[in-house]
Amino acid sequence: MTVTEHEMLALIGHRFPGGRYRVQHWENWLLTDCTGSEQLPDGLVHPIALFHAPILGSRTSITELFELGHASGAGSVGLESYDWEYLQPLKEEVDYDVEGGITEVERRTTPDGQIYDAVAFTIELFDDDHAVVARVTNRWRFRRPTA
Amino acid sequence: MNVQLGDNVPPWTMAAVDAGRMRTMAAILRDPYPVHWDRTANERLGLGGRVINQGPLNLSYLVNMLHAWAGPGSVRRLTVAFARPVLDEDCVTARATVLALAEVGGERHATCEIWLDRDGEKVVTGTAVVAVG
Repeated sequence: MTVTEHEMLALIGHRFPGGRYRVQHWENWLLTDCTGSEQLPDGLVHPIALFHAPILGSRTSITELFELGHASGAGSVGLESYDWEYLQPLKEEVDYDVEGGITEVERRTTPDGQIYDAVAFTIELFDDDHAVVARVTNRWRFRRPTA
Repeated sequence: MNVQLGDNVPPWTMAAVDAGRMRTMAAILRDPYPVHWDRTANERLGLGGRVINQGPLNLSYLVNMLHAWAGPGSVRRLTVAFARPVLDEDCVTARATVLALAEVGGERHATCEIWLDRDGEKVVTGTAVVAVG
């Protein structure tokens, strides 16, 4: 195994740099189209933007998250769960402040002996009055090769 | 909107998950994981050269069902677990049942059990809180 449990647990508390994010109209249009939905009214952002907007807005990336989790190629990363809260509707062309980091790491073993690390990160989006607009906690699995 | 405990939300079906949409999503998400767009990368995973749908797209079908039922902007919380990967050309149907109703902050909230069904298998499961009045 290339990464120890101790190394993974050290990620708890890791903060992303933080920043601002604006979902642009073209981006929301394409995102919504990918879901098979009609475009939404009144500049509403499709709720699944709460995947990429928090990640990119907090100035991390899927690439960096894979590196932090020591992903090792196709099939080594899987989704476990999402918990997404919408305290205000997200709108196109509005800037949100974004802050977050890694909150939980746990090494687990499946009944068939597969080892993986469950890594959770929580990111919040804020409006200009610093009120929370949305909060996400995503938990990913980083599978570890067994000998 | 007249919502009762035990109501079944009208289902929403994606008849064939589309690999082209996965490629567009990968670009929007800046997602370098090839399982979503490179069929050859998936051969060693035993997927027969098929690509894996992104988790947010699986979730989007559940959102689209809730929007069709309660209107855009109605979703207040989504809590889901991913049980099985969804592949291109899969037919999946979003389903929900109302578990609880409550007044919260001047809104009526329905808590729903939600799941994404593929040939009777629940590939995504969870709950949604939806404003219904």
